[in-house]
Amino acid sequence: MFRTVLRREVLHNLYSLRFLISLTLVIAVFAAGAVSFVRSHASDLEKYRETRGQYLENMRSLAGQGATELAVRRQTFTLKPRSNGFIADAKERYLPNAIVYSAWNVFSFQNRSGSANPFLKKFDELSWTFITALILSFVALLFTFDAVSGEKETKTLALSLSNPLPRGALLGGKFASAVLSVMAIVLAGVLTSLVIVVILGAEGVSATLAGEVLGYLAVAALLAGTFAAFGLLASVVARGSNVSLLLALSFWLAFAVVIPNSSTFLAKGLYPIARSEEVQKNVDAVFDDLNKNAPPGSWMMNSGNPFLPQHELRANLQMKRLQAEKGIRDVYARAMFRQFERTRLLTAVSPVALFEYLTEAVSGGGYLRFRKAWEDMHVYQEQFLAFFKALDAADTGSPHWFNPNENVSTTRKPVAFEKVPQFEERPMPFAARVGPALKYLLINVFVLSAVYFLAFILFIRYDVR
Amino acid sequence: MTGTLVRKEFLTNLVSPRFAIGFVLCLVLIPFSLLINISGYRERAAQYRIDRDAAEKAAAEVRVYSTLRPEIVLPPEPLGVFGKGVSDQVGNRVQIMLGDKPLLAAGKTAAGDNPFLASFFSVDFVDIAAIVFSLLALIFSYDAFSREKEDGTLKLQMSNSLSRSTALAGKLLGILLTLLPVIVFSFLVGSLLILFARDISFSAGEWGRIALLFAASLVYLAVFVFLGLLVSTRSKSSVTSLVVCLFLWVVLVFIVPAVSANFAGSFFGAESRDNLDRVLRDVDQQREAAISAAFKAQGVPEGWSCWWCYGDEDGRIETYGNPRDEFEKFRRRASLSEPIRLDFAEKKWAPAKAYIDSLARQARAAERLSFLSPTGLFRAVASALCRTDLASHERHMDRTRQYREAFVRWLRGKDIFASFRWITPSDPSKFKTEDELIEMRTGGEFKTAGEFEAWAAQQKDARARWMKLSQVKVSGDSPDDFPYLDISDMPRFEVRAGGFLFGLGPSALWVGILLVEAVFLFYAGYVAFIRYDVR
Repeated sequence: MFRTVLRREVLHNLYSLRFLISLTLVIAVFAAGAVSFVRSHASDLEKYRETRGQYLENMRSLAGQGATELAVRRQTFTLKPRSNGFIADAKERYLPNAIVYSAWNVFSFQNRSGSANPFLKKFDELSWTFITALILSFVALLFTFDAVSGEKETKTLALSLSNPLPRGALLGGKFASAVLSVMAIVLAGVLTSLVIVVILGAEGVSATLAGEVLGYLAVAALLAGTFAAFGLLASVVARGSNVSLLLALSFWLAFAVVIPNSSTFLAKGLYPIARSEEVQKNVDAVFDDLNKNAPPGSWMMNSGNPFLPQHELRANLQMKRLQAEKGIRDVYARAMFRQFERTRLLTAVSPVALFEYLTEAVSGGGYLRFRKAWEDMHVYQEQFLAFFKALDAADTGSPHWFNPNENVSTTRKPVAFEKVPQFEERPMPFAARVGPALKYLLINVFVLSAVYFLAFILFIRYDVR
Repeated sequence: MTGTLVRKEFLTNLVSPRFAIGFVLCLVLIPFSLLINISGYRERAAQYRIDRDAAEKAAAEVRVYSTLRPEIVLPPEPLGVFGKGVSDQVGNRVQIMLGDKPLLAAGKTAAGDNPFLASFFSVDFVDIAAIVFSLLALIFSYDAFSREKEDGTLKLQMSNSLSRSTALAGKLLGILLTLLPVIVFSFLVGSLLILFARDISFSAGEWGRIALLFAASLVYLAVFVFLGLLVSTRSKSSVTSLVVCLFLWVVLVFIVPAVSANFAGSFFGAESRDNLDRVLRDVDQQREAAISAAFKAQGVPEGWSCWWCYGDEDGRIETYGNPRDEFEKFRRRASLSEPIRLDFAEKKWAPAKAYIDSLARQARAAERLSFLSPTGLFRAVASALCRTDLASHERHMDRTRQYREAFVRWLRGKDIFASFRWITPSDPSKFKTEDELIEMRTGGEFKTAGEFEAWAAQQKDARARWMKLSQVKVSGDSPDDFPYLDISDMPRFEVRAGGFLFGLGPSALWVGILLVEAVFLFYAGYVAFIRYDVR
């Protein structure tokens, strides 16, 4: 019985005008997005290569000048533009995408100037995620808003139910058919986009990409299901299809427009963090304190002879300053992460926001990617420091007074750049993607079932005449 | 006759659930967007006060001209509460340097202290108005005729002695009359929120701009009403009409702006910032070479030493307690290097300007492409009205560059680069020789520098040299002995907002385009209705 309903509904959807328009629109936007991605990715990559070349060249010349020079100079590691950005851009243009480090510390992160044009109003990339979140959620509602109320108006609902057809099966059939129709449209768009990206783009097809596409489709089905459930709910709540349409549109506006766009406000209002000026003031106070308590002559500079006693005093002072500042800044960085993560969790009441976080995890990008790079950089920094200390220990011409800011009292011998460990960003493993996504997945499944269940209960009590 | 029709339409709409839902939608979304933006404004105003106080303090606590770098802090735009434009993406602070002209404003953006928040987007009154007004216009007009045709009342109506123009006029006026209270209400709520917000107040000119925004919203609304009407008269059934209208809405309001920004991003590439930085570094190196060459040509000796020194980028140098010769060396260096630095600022400006021009070109391309949709036009007009568009920002930045010229003229007028006041507040008539200084600092233990050096060379610990010289405090040895510089005659940067209609030239054209669109759609709808089969 369910299959009959499903068949009828799917065919009904497939032959409808909305399906035709959505299909055309989605294919057109997917194609536009793919073309736009290929072009901007190529130019982003070119800019990245230049930056990366400079970064390596600079480090090579520092290594030639001396191991300490390489160890104490701050470097800025830039994340590579992601080749699967067409699946989910995860707002990477606006997120921090560079990490400042030396052998002694991982200092800070920044959004490299130039990754986003400040004169261009913030915009969403035409990635699969954006198109799906915007259009497909809308289409899912369009397929369902009059599923019950519309049939009631045309009097076919009473006829259908005069057959031995359980109401659950009817509702289930309508739900499943809406999801299937939406997914058919998504699939058409995804295939269009993939063809364009593979033909025009430099990157080929890989097993990882296939996995990501499948993961994306699964998440998209979840989104379509959630909105179909909301559409059905609107349909059984209202008496006329007119009203259910407006209800459905209100859901959509709330979830796709209002909630995701109020995040900054929520973040600052509910989870405030200290002002950067205050943090700077704390750092300055600690520095003042250390300077005051430092033995006299600690600041005397004379770089000629590494063994001068003031170098040891200054090395100690600089090391203390580094540790003190690191303590304060690390706490502040964690406060930022916490503020961001909590805000995300709060906006997860919107299925559209949930969908964005889930596709971010599927494509291994955005905030998750940055966090992983940030953690990995800390591991790397330890290795780099150990490497440097070993070099220094082998040098008899060095007094071994570690100074994180100056090239004075540690080894001055050059080092072969090829031997220096390099930080490389590793691709996100499966577990790192699934782990943080689990809670969002759980919320989404919960919302979907709750809304569907509510629609079901209301439909059971629905007057179909 | 028209009056009767209008009344009927108005009353039917008024009691319909869609009016109630539409009204509630505005009732929730408009105050929501304004409250968010008022709180954002408050935060920016607080940040502005912090930045301004810091800038004033920094400018006041200066003892020599060479470290004077006035910082301009731009106040937040109160009208930005309605439409943010680009104002929350660009910074608000510009430091005036000698070696560079102001390029981009620094300072915090809307993300505030947490750069991750920059990945969250936000909406304002204009966005909500663009989304909701167009939706309401379409919701009320999509079934203007198709529904009545389905109900069979259209036939009945037209069987009276009623011309089609009158029927159409009645319909249209009825819809517009229904939507008018919603819009008026939205603007009233907005204005009330502004009036009751504590730390925000509008001038008469600003209220005038809000009135213009209201007028622009009406034109925008009319475009969508006529669009809905056209679709309605061209569709067979009201369901078809609805589906077409909703898709048009999504395309015009959401997709066209997104596609235009993306296409501008990928087809109107902006220059690379890293590349610009590299070019500017090269010019800096040329400048340093030119300065060294000038030193050589004028016979200024290489190297220098000082008792108390502070030096920083952009030629900042402040020094105390030196012998006369050493002061003179600093003075000569600065008198040669600073004019060269100013010349090179002009040289650095060409590539820098090319870079910001490419950014502006990209942004303008995105805006122009979005004009394919009435929403794009409306947004552009609204941000110009709210003085938060790119052109307003560019005007601010141009004025900071003019201010830099005035500041430099002021410095040159004082002939300050060749003066000791550039590097030290010490009185040149009280400069001492090195021997005199050594004698004073060691309390008479050493009479000449030669004696002291001979003694110092025998000390094992290099610190001894410094300890010995610190025995007696000599007046003028450190900054604390001098008052701050009197800069009351320094030119001040004045923040000028511009008059009521300032900078609205292009917007007039854009509203004109919106009007033309409205007239065209109306005409098309009219023709379609004349030929409409009402049975």
